[in-house]
Amino acid sequence: MIEEKDHFRAPLSDTFRRKTPFSQLVEHMCKVSEGINILGEGIIKYYKADYKDFSDLAKKVSQIEHEADIIKGNIRNHLPSSLLMPVDKGKFLWALREQDAILDHAENLSEMLDMRHTKIPKELQKLFIEHAELVMKTVKAMEEAVCNIKDLVETGFVKREREQTKEYIHNVHDFEYKADQKRYEVTKGIYKLEKKLSPMDVYHLIKIADWVDEVADHAENVADWLRSMIAK
Amino acid sequence: MRLRWRHLVDYFIWIIIAIASAIAFYMAWSIGANDVANSMATAVGAKAITFKQAVIIAGILNFLGAVLIGPHVAETIKGKIVNTETIEPNILLIGFIASLLAAAIWVTLSTWKEMPISTTHSIIGALMGFGIVAGGFSSVNWGKIGSVAASWVLSPIFGCILAFIVFKIIVKLIFSKEEPVKSARIIGPAIIGVTAFIITSSLLLKTSLSETYTISDFNGIIVAIITSIIVGFIGIFLLRKIKAKKEEDYFTVENIFRKLQIVTSCYVAFSQGANDVANAIGPVAAIVPLAETGMMSTSTPIPTTLLALGGIGIAFGCLTWGKRVMKTVGSRITSLTNTRGFSVDFGAATTVLVASKLGLPISTSHTVVGAVIGVGLARGLEAIDLSVIKRIIISWIFTLPIAAGTCIIIFYILRMIVG
Repeated sequence: MIEEKDHFRAPLSDTFRRKTPFSQLVEHMCKVSEGINILGEGIIKYYKADYKDFSDLAKKVSQIEHEADIIKGNIRNHLPSSLLMPVDKGKFLWALREQDAILDHAENLSEMLDMRHTKIPKELQKLFIEHAELVMKTVKAMEEAVCNIKDLVETGFVKREREQTKEYIHNVHDFEYKADQKRYEVTKGIYKLEKKLSPMDVYHLIKIADWVDEVADHAENVADWLRSMIAK
Repeated sequence: MRLRWRHLVDYFIWIIIAIASAIAFYMAWSIGANDVANSMATAVGAKAITFKQAVIIAGILNFLGAVLIGPHVAETIKGKIVNTETIEPNILLIGFIASLLAAAIWVTLSTWKEMPISTTHSIIGALMGFGIVAGGFSSVNWGKIGSVAASWVLSPIFGCILAFIVFKIIVKLIFSKEEPVKSARIIGPAIIGVTAFIITSSLLLKTSLSETYTISDFNGIIVAIITSIIVGFIGIFLLRKIKAKKEEDYFTVENIFRKLQIVTSCYVAFSQGANDVANAIGPVAAIVPLAETGMMSTSTPIPTTLLALGGIGIAFGCLTWGKRVMKTVGSRITSLTNTRGFSVDFGAATTVLVASKLGLPISTSHTVVGAVIGVGLARGLEAIDLSVIKRIIISWIFTLPIAAGTCIIIFYILRMIVG
């Protein structure tokens, strides 16, 4: 990379980067939450058999995923081994990777939903919507945990802030657990209706439930990496 | 030969001194434009002061530091690197000018190439080169060079440790408390009190000031303690009205330190003036007595006018080129918030001031980098690029031989011209 020279000696400026990794992590997370919010609203409409504009939504999510990928690449490319960070760089990168996986799944999910409009049986509609809401809440909780990193860094990792982040992480686990339970109910519900539904519908409904749930799984993974990142 | 030389001296020595002073002024300008801007940028980057204020603070306090504490380091450069007794005065004259010129060339070249070299290292290297050719290896005071070189390694480490400690104090006594803002209102001024103690004692212990007013060391310490207590209480008094807006109001804590950082940036400027002025005027100071008495004398005190010339040169450098440097560096280091900047300033300035009192010429900008790394090691910064250490070490390795070599070449050329 060739930078324009200003012709002065200032080793101090060589010590710093223009963008800090944490602010970029938060920037990436904003993209994740933007994508998940769009998908969340859309998927509930979808569950209610409103397929209008869903193709546009899928395109939008895909676009956001692409933007997030650029940020991710930027962070990865600017973490040389000479960079000193207050947390383990490896763990930081794993957290980023998992955070990115959330959007990857969101993209796949929206594309799959767009490819075949599967009607959700009336009996299961409520369960499906509740499940999606819990997954969204998991991501939201993860977002809070990631944002609290800013306070952690600001205070030089004091106990109080660490406890707070841990609490947020705990919330993530909580919602993820609830989402898992809900998915169990959803899946059970689908099998109960297997006689009424076409095999293709069963296959697709189970796949939708699984893929939605996977978003929450990755949010939980982010929280886990965050937890080990801030450990003493 | 000898007679002819004396003759020349009568006519031309003042011209030579004027030329030397001009080169010295250029060196001072370069220090002001690069090194001062580089260290003051911590306060500008943390938005504690605007860059205009930084230029004014740097100008005035560098000047004061240069005039009041400067002679300690200038003595080292003037007479302790090369054994001046063993070398003829005319050779000395050429030698000091050659070393000034060599250092100035290397500094200019590396500034152009943006290498993180130090003016201090350049001038010491140049003096070393001149000593070797003028009087052989034995005329260079290797012991002194060894201790100076050791101080180059130690000063960034010392700055690193101090900044680490100050930042840890801020974390332990402010951020981890129930009410961070309330603690900051007390701890901040207390550290400023310590700063006041260090500055006052450096002014009163073994300086021209204490000799003029016959202040004993003991009295000096007492005065320094009283000053520090007064300054501390003034700080607490001024900050008493600041209240936390919410429980975890780190923003207000930073705001308190933004005010305190005005003091530490003055501290940085003052210390820097004390240490760096010698790089510019040390060699000139050595040849002034030559002109006046025809003899080299290590005992003649350095004229205040020379120190003032150096101080003005530094201030001028800040005002002209330094403004731009400060803006650029300041905009790059915005992640250095006020509490961090405060720690860096305190660590670096204290190291530089102590070194100045010990007569050790060190690199202020390398010390500032050391202090930044200290805060980073205390988990205070999101990311620090440690490759700068490699660049600094490379500049250490190259500066001495290159400055020495250039000086040797210039020395021979000058001697050919003069006769």
